[in-house]
Amino acid sequence: MNIKETLKSLCTPPGVAGCETAASKAAQNLLLEYMPNAQVDSFGTVTGSINYDEKLPLLLLDAHIDEIGMVVNYIDGNGFLKVSGAGGIDRRALSAQTVTIWGKTPVKGVICALPPHVQTQKDAAQTIKEDQIAIDCGFTKEEVEKVVSLGDSITIDAELTELQNDRITARALDDRAGVCSILYALDLLKKSIEPPKLQYNLAVTFSSQEELGCRGARIAAYNINPDLAVAVDVSYGDYHGCKENKTGKIGGGVMLGTAPSLDRELFENMKKTATEKNIPYQIEVMSSETGTNADVISLSRKGVKCALLSIPLRNMHTPAEMLQISDIKATGQLIAEFIGAPLMAISPPINAG
Amino acid sequence: MERIFDFLKDLSLLNAVSGDEGEVRDYVKTALKSANCDIETDNLGNLIVFKKGKNRPKNKIMLCAHIDEVGFVVQGINSDGFISLSAVGGISDSVVYGRQIEFKAFNAGYSAHGGSSVTGIIGGKPVHFIKGDEKDKQPKLSELYADIGALSREDAEKYVCLGTTACFVSEFAEFGNCFVKGKALDDRLGCALMLDMLLSELEYDMHFVFTVQEEIGARGAGVAAYSVKPDFAVILETTTACDIAGVEGEKQVCRLGDGTVVPFMDKGTAYDRELYNLTFETAYRNNIKIQTKTQIAGGNDSSSIHKTAGGVRTICLAAPCRYLHSPCCVIKKDDFLGTRVLAEKLAYKIAEL
Repeated sequence: MNIKETLKSLCTPPGVAGCETAASKAAQNLLLEYMPNAQVDSFGTVTGSINYDEKLPLLLLDAHIDEIGMVVNYIDGNGFLKVSGAGGIDRRALSAQTVTIWGKTPVKGVICALPPHVQTQKDAAQTIKEDQIAIDCGFTKEEVEKVVSLGDSITIDAELTELQNDRITARALDDRAGVCSILYALDLLKKSIEPPKLQYNLAVTFSSQEELGCRGARIAAYNINPDLAVAVDVSYGDYHGCKENKTGKIGGGVMLGTAPSLDRELFENMKKTATEKNIPYQIEVMSSETGTNADVISLSRKGVKCALLSIPLRNMHTPAEMLQISDIKATGQLIAEFIGAPLMAISPPINAG
Repeated sequence: MERIFDFLKDLSLLNAVSGDEGEVRDYVKTALKSANCDIETDNLGNLIVFKKGKNRPKNKIMLCAHIDEVGFVVQGINSDGFISLSAVGGISDSVVYGRQIEFKAFNAGYSAHGGSSVTGIIGGKPVHFIKGDEKDKQPKLSELYADIGALSREDAEKYVCLGTTACFVSEFAEFGNCFVKGKALDDRLGCALMLDMLLSELEYDMHFVFTVQEEIGARGAGVAAYSVKPDFAVILETTTACDIAGVEGEKQVCRLGDGTVVPFMDKGTAYDRELYNLTFETAYRNNIKIQTKTQIAGGNDSSSIHKTAGGVRTICLAAPCRYLHSPCCVIKKDDFLGTRVLAEKLAYKIAEL
């Protein structure tokens, strides 16, 4: 599997939280190769499963398909669009960006900004407020209303571009990179020369509305009813001036999460797998919940043992998200190895059925 | 009239930060191969072009547009490979975060990398690390870094060095109802206009200067004007339009779609009153849309030209442009085409004064 090509297929279609259809379809198409029953549920979440043996416990692999973006909430008298954020948009990265409004047909626009020639120092020192964001589509109100409706989603244009050292930048790597790593794991399992002795039945969710509060995963986890789960998301990559102990090293491998809300045994098991199989990893310590789908999946029905794997990412929630391909590979490898050969027995799963 | 938009597109996509204008200079020279004109490059890099017309004018006329654009220069390379930037020209802190930029290629002679340009992204601490009031603060460029994916200073130095220039990356595109967006339309628009004129038959002899270093204080134009010693100069430019959501009345400065902007005064020049009146009269006679600026804002090459060599009478014809000095300058095609027609008509009027 070519990771860059897969990422490109995943990142190109829009999937703003609550409007995931295009991204979900792209992910479903990719998942179909490994899970012929892959489908998109009523809430925009992609699901698929493989049952090897009734006796095996069910492992859920989850990554979220949605991305940060905006939605149109008003069209003013001059045709400018007013918007609301869908998820925690980074307001520092908005002014004068090119955007696409996913209307009846895709419409290009530019986020309004004051030029320095008329900007006061006070204006320049402040981030744009959400209620000040306006989009210029080059249309009058009448013209724009033919193609744009209230509720249409908006993404910032940022093509997937290669940087040095196997690193890439694109929008929506949070969390299409996670989706990609799960597909990569499935690809490794499918292509392994000796068929691995699988220890679990598998379910996959590429869940919707994570950025709005992990809603898609909550619904999907209930329906799938797994015994244990691995959530894959992105986390903070190292950055000049940021504390090392708060970030993961780009290129340092998969970030293995430990937190009070995650299963400690599963964490130890993953760590051992990574060590034994020489998969580069780094530990991410959180002191409460994790801010990922693991928080809600673990609370599904009678509770689910959860692990969290993260891919280090810079500039999260901006159109200039950035990561290193090898970290996606390490994440996928760890998942594949874990599914194929857990190194120690996990205490008997609680059957929540 | 399609030729002029082809020029505009090509020119917009070239990278020529003030003081590093070679790409545009070469393009202009190549484009003028068949124009039957004399071209000189002066010591600062200005292109001074003379084209004979059918008649000799009563007054020596110089048309002027600048070839440089706002951008960045590498100010430092940190040990972890993060690159510190300074702005070249007036760039608002609000339009740099989360953008792609392109670093100009090294001189291949001393670059291990072999002399192709590289992409970088401007970013900073993740938004999630920013608390409370700080969320409303737009970080300054000096607090941000460009990231090309380098692993260390040594690694980064394969691709960039201190003093390397960088430009915004921005697609040139038509959108809305006859609007165009792209970087550096300030002032590639003026350059495209002059190329189009130079490739046409002229009624009168005329001088054209493609100037350098406008964005750091109109430095090239004064020198070029000294060489040409014109009686009259017409500056072809873009100017700040603020006709965007939330801005009313005189604060809009000028409006897209309302035609060529002819200022009576800006921060650098009190324009020649007779020329100002002649310009409006010429526009009215020829049914060309024309407006003035409702704020004393901005400045252009006129600021140095009018004070050169004992004084030059100047006027400026500008296309209104939104989001000036950002990655997404926006103009309306009609304003540009009207300005093209008016520039020629006005020049001939001045020739006969």
